[in-house]
Amino acid sequence: MPLRTDGRPANVSALPAPAGVTVDFARDIKPIFADNCVKCHGAEKQKGGLRLDNKASAFQGGDEGKVLVAGKSAESPLVHLVAGLEEDKIMPPKGERLTAAQVGLLRAWIDQGAAWPDDGAPVAAVRSDHWSLQPLKAPAVPGNAPDAIDAFIRARLAKDGLALSPEADRATLIRRLSFDLIGLPPSPEEVDAFVNDTSPGAYASVVDRLLASPHYGERWGRHWLDVARYTESQGFEYDQLRDNAWHFRDYVIRSFNSDKPYNRFMQEQVAGDVIEPVTSEGVVATSLLVCGPWDQAGNAQSNATQRAITREDELEDMLGVVGQSFLGLTVNCARCHAHKYDPIPHEEYYRMKSVFEGVKHGERPIAGADEKKAHNERRAALEKEIAAAGERLSRIEAEGAKIAAAQIKPPAAPPGPAPFLSWNFTASGAAGELHGGAAIANGRLQLPKDGAFFQSPPLTKDIREKTLEAWVSLATNEQGGGAAISIQSGGGKVFDAIVFAERQPGKWMAGSDNSRRTADLDIPPEPGAPGTLIHMAVVYRADNSVVLYRNGEPLGKPYTPGSPLETFAAGDAHILLGLRHSGAAKGAWLKGEIRQTSLYDRALGDAEVAASYRAAGFAIPREAILAALTPEQRAEHEKAVAEKEKSQAALAALPPVSGAVSYVGTRNNPAPTRRLIRGEVTSPDEVVTPGGLSAIADLNPDFGLPADAPEAERRKKFAAWLSDPKNPLPARVMANRVWHLHFGQGIVSTPNDFGIAGAKPTHPELLDWLAAKFIESDWSIKSLHRLIVNSATYRQSSVSKVAATAIDAGNTLLWRYAPRRLEAEAIRDAMLAVSGQLNPQAGGPGFRAFDAIGFPANVYAIADKQGPEFNRRTVYRMNVNSGKDPLLDTFDCPDPSVKTPSRGVTTTPLQALGLMNNSFVQRQANHLAERAMKAAGNESVKAIQLVYRLALGRTLSAEEAARAAAAAKDRALKSVCWALLNSSEFVYLR
Amino acid sequence: MSEDNSPSTLLSRRHFLWNSGGGLGAIALAWMLDRDNARAADAGTASSRKPHFQAKAKRVVQIFCAGGVSHLETFDYKPHLEKMHGKSMEGRGENLGFFGQPGNLMKSVYDFRQHGKSGAWVSSLLPKLAGCVDDLCFIHSMFAKSNNHTPAAFQMNTGFTLNGFPCMGAWLSYGLGTDNENLPAFVVLPDPRGMPAGGSINWTSGFLPANHQGVAFRTAVAEPISDLRTPEGISPEARSADMDLLTSMNRDFAAANPGDGAFAARLRSYELAARMQSSIPEATNFDSEPEHIKKLYGIDEPANKGFSRNCLMARRLLERGVRFVQIINGGSFGTPRINWDGHENMKENHDNQAATMDQPVAALIQDLKQRGMFDDTLFIWSTEFGRCPVTQGVNSPGRDHHPAAFTCFLAGAGVKAGHHHGSSDDIGYSIATDQVNIPDFHATILHLLGLDHKKLTFYHNGIDRRLTNVEGEIVKGILS
Repeated sequence: MPLRTDGRPANVSALPAPAGVTVDFARDIKPIFADNCVKCHGAEKQKGGLRLDNKASAFQGGDEGKVLVAGKSAESPLVHLVAGLEEDKIMPPKGERLTAAQVGLLRAWIDQGAAWPDDGAPVAAVRSDHWSLQPLKAPAVPGNAPDAIDAFIRARLAKDGLALSPEADRATLIRRLSFDLIGLPPSPEEVDAFVNDTSPGAYASVVDRLLASPHYGERWGRHWLDVARYTESQGFEYDQLRDNAWHFRDYVIRSFNSDKPYNRFMQEQVAGDVIEPVTSEGVVATSLLVCGPWDQAGNAQSNATQRAITREDELEDMLGVVGQSFLGLTVNCARCHAHKYDPIPHEEYYRMKSVFEGVKHGERPIAGADEKKAHNERRAALEKEIAAAGERLSRIEAEGAKIAAAQIKPPAAPPGPAPFLSWNFTASGAAGELHGGAAIANGRLQLPKDGAFFQSPPLTKDIREKTLEAWVSLATNEQGGGAAISIQSGGGKVFDAIVFAERQPGKWMAGSDNSRRTADLDIPPEPGAPGTLIHMAVVYRADNSVVLYRNGEPLGKPYTPGSPLETFAAGDAHILLGLRHSGAAKGAWLKGEIRQTSLYDRALGDAEVAASYRAAGFAIPREAILAALTPEQRAEHEKAVAEKEKSQAALAALPPVSGAVSYVGTRNNPAPTRRLIRGEVTSPDEVVTPGGLSAIADLNPDFGLPADAPEAERRKKFAAWLSDPKNPLPARVMANRVWHLHFGQGIVSTPNDFGIAGAKPTHPELLDWLAAKFIESDWSIKSLHRLIVNSATYRQSSVSKVAATAIDAGNTLLWRYAPRRLEAEAIRDAMLAVSGQLNPQAGGPGFRAFDAIGFPANVYAIADKQGPEFNRRTVYRMNVNSGKDPLLDTFDCPDPSVKTPSRGVTTTPLQALGLMNNSFVQRQANHLAERAMKAAGNESVKAIQLVYRLALGRTLSAEEAARAAAAAKDRALKSVCWALLNSSEFVYLR
Repeated sequence: MSEDNSPSTLLSRRHFLWNSGGGLGAIALAWMLDRDNARAADAGTASSRKPHFQAKAKRVVQIFCAGGVSHLETFDYKPHLEKMHGKSMEGRGENLGFFGQPGNLMKSVYDFRQHGKSGAWVSSLLPKLAGCVDDLCFIHSMFAKSNNHTPAAFQMNTGFTLNGFPCMGAWLSYGLGTDNENLPAFVVLPDPRGMPAGGSINWTSGFLPANHQGVAFRTAVAEPISDLRTPEGISPEARSADMDLLTSMNRDFAAANPGDGAFAARLRSYELAARMQSSIPEATNFDSEPEHIKKLYGIDEPANKGFSRNCLMARRLLERGVRFVQIINGGSFGTPRINWDGHENMKENHDNQAATMDQPVAALIQDLKQRGMFDDTLFIWSTEFGRCPVTQGVNSPGRDHHPAAFTCFLAGAGVKAGHHHGSSDDIGYSIATDQVNIPDFHATILHLLGLDHKKLTFYHNGIDRRLTNVEGEIVKGILS
């Protein structure tokens, strides 16, 4: 059945009949297209991604697919649309409609095969002359004014016969600056200092002081977190906490405080985990991509189509935040079809999606490769030093042992513990079978090659806790996988063994079936030279813990494996020497010699293992060896011991690679991205390659990557494309954000939308001048602040003027500084600051002003928690989706899941109720009163002066003083404080 | 009331304040705050605004049954399903359940019978609502996008399956304002047993100004909203004197800053706040309700778990000019379940839930009718999706989620009474006739309130956003 473009059945019976003539394209059809269609579907514009002015483009179709189906006019969407089959989509949308005769001609042409002489034109790219997509050009500064910003503003004001207002008074200015730059009120001392400092640089030095304050990043970082839709819970059904999301908040704050170049800031947030050198800072930065909401249940459900939709929603959110935050383009609007307003074809949404297709939600370690590499290099170097010192010691001691052996007979040691079974190859052989070239010679079991091993008869007793022990010498330390002694049952299905270097080169271990009772110990490689007789023991205790010994000393730390102790049953179990376990295919044979070996049916203690080592008498006591050394050898020995100990201490002190994880998302290499027709996961179309947007002038959108390029390459290329100096959008967009936040209104009043439907710039030349200066300063945001807040435009009085209002009531031309309501966070922080309760502790996990209830879903019960932890700045409040604070909420604190470039400002009765009655406000009012009374030595008049200066940053009039004194006398000073915290003057900046 | 402090809105009030020299009489304030009909420019205001065209419905009450009410166990009678009981659903389509363990077809666990003059089939589960069918307009062909609770609930409430979009009540507050500034325009009454999944996200104003956010009334505690009552230890006299001091401060400040209406609006917000301190307790206090009304709702019946109180409160709020009241039936997680999510056992689950819902909702309909409010109140009964005709798991008595066909009903102002629109197929699996997508449902609701869903827009990050996104066709067949 023919379908409409919206997927519903098309009523083709309503179509005019095809013309009964033979149609010629040039004569009959081309004029219809030229007169009616190509104005919007041609070289100038490509609405819906469609062109009808050349063959290739026309047959390719538009964003919603093909429009011409040769031979089938009733199924051709072009015919449906020109015939008016779809009420909402009649083509052409304006002006005269096609006549029935013209539609009939089109139908006949299509039914006759839609012949279109080849015009050789390729499918054409998108072009746009929209202002924001054109290259930056630093414009000439109008007039001769020393301050360029003021020159631009004055020139525009002058056109309407307006002028800047005079400078605001100093107390007003410092309050404005302080809230604007650090989000906190100035202290009375700071106000006094500035008001009394008449030096020419006084203002600029306040600006510098504030920009250097660590509170600056807390203020401006919060603004960026609004844009980034930063949330600390998953949202949707479960809304579980993201305990480790805060690293990103701290990253943003640090970046602002350190004035990180903005191009670097951008690159890090899209690809910081893959741009060399990778740092943990860079890894954390990429949280931007995933710090929005995530549908945990939607990702876990069984229906594959619904899961795929959930995933597409995630990617749209990701493209939305990248496109809007950095480019000021609502790229996300092109998911289902070409962007309705902007020159973003449907295909380009999918090219950009391909860039981020490998990014998924979740936590992972944030240690950068740099950190890991440095750690591993340092560790390897120390291990090498230890091994080298160990080799020197072995060599010296071997020489000493030779001398000692000739000189002395080792003293008799007390007997060791009695084994359950023992094989001593110095005696007349041992009960058991030799296999694969194993032999007994020189008083030792000889294990010369793969395949050689010794097997005991079945054991006569069940063995559970136990000790394995062997005197062994290795033919080479460059071998791995063989066992000195193994106890096995089930023909090798279960075993415990003293194994050399199976999992870590050169290191001993307690081997076991499937490594179930094995741990990779943090121990040095075997230091003894090949041929050295080594005493090895492994004790398996009844409590399931396992400990290794070498030459009577514990080797590494005891550990308790996850798998329990096995019972080796009498009649089935036996001992193997040389072979790790029966049935092993390769790499399971030890090459060397075994002097003596024992099985104990109990776990020996440390002292018993040491006694057994000494009792065998194979070792020449250390004292004897050392005594035999020459003075030179002894000096060298001492030096090697010192070096070894030093390196061992350094190794022990080496800090581990940071184990911290954060919500930075996981990565995988995805399948090639396909364009989805109408954005539907069930309608994949052609494969697309990763790329940028083609409409930005002078910028190549093609990354030269194949569709299956590694995901890291895609994001690296995107980061480079984004921050290419030829890309005019990021500098324009960020300069505008900074301006917007200083004046409460941007030069472009839609900071996330620099597209065609977004607002036009009120001062386009000024915006470009700022953007150019921004780049020139190496993308320094603090430089932008200095340019702006030092201007006369910023320093204007807020006083309204009748004449100016009549001309420009919206103050879009900036004839004054418009008063601004403080944001929710600034109001709360200011209350804490003036009450003296603000806890300046920066960074780390946020405070939880709620009780999280329930599993698997979290419900957040807002609680008025008290204590210094909860008196930190509001940016450190854990920001969860369904646990919004009612007081902050009424002051327009945004829903954390919403990308918020510009906050709303409402005034409501609920807001008033919050300030009137909220327990936090009451408490701060009381603290403010106590603070002032204490500072004023309980002198009420002085205390009243102080609370005014603290709360409003100014002195009070005689009338105000009288009113306040009466209230304080009638009730208490806290009444005055409460009124001040509720006052318009407190919550507004002028 | 309230302000968007963008300079453009400060403008319309400037002349007044300037000319009045800072004097802020009540009449003048009313003028200043009573804005014209330009919604986008006046996004921050709450005062009453005219609709796009005249309509019968002036206010809305929406029952939202969380968890997914089975259409097959309530209002969508399927005799064929009885014949098919125990047989495979093979060939009828993909399993749309959340857990993906489809068993065989299962007939309704309740008997159906025809009711009223209209002869509507209703199951034995809902005897009281069965008595109301001649007033109701059923839509049996509802279609939701998601088979997952929260996205589906978001779609029913906000039109989108994602976080962060304004809900229907917020759009209506934005579109129509309120008739009584002493109460919020949009009140939500969560189930006393617990919050729905997603909590307050369900009544967010999203990117609309914060004053359009739903105000959740707590009915289980003495204080219906936070910060309503003057803190303990502050006498009424002291508070009154404190308010005088504050007013003098704010008045001085407004006078010293003429041309900025926001400062006058703050003064006004404190007047309204003071009035809310008495109007909200008055509206939420049932002392004046006669016994027979309390009995009608069954407010002392333990079986309805306090939900009846919310229904009665809804009526009181609607009477007092609240534009939109949303009553939520069911919470999120709990053992046994505290919503309609009958995965394990339909009968056990729906028996429990219906015991909370049937009588109070029927009572609300009757009560609105007997007060003549049914003629200008739009009544909505909704859920996020229906339930699958097959069992969840072989031989299990439960059903999984099913978004491809379910039933909701409208009633009251502007809709046909005793009417059925659309149908599902013979086993209730897919839509047979007249599919109604959620945007169609929303477009129709806005239409019934005199709002054109294509014109009720708010610019946000590049898009003139609508409740109905880019979809929505008015369901003309149900309009009276």
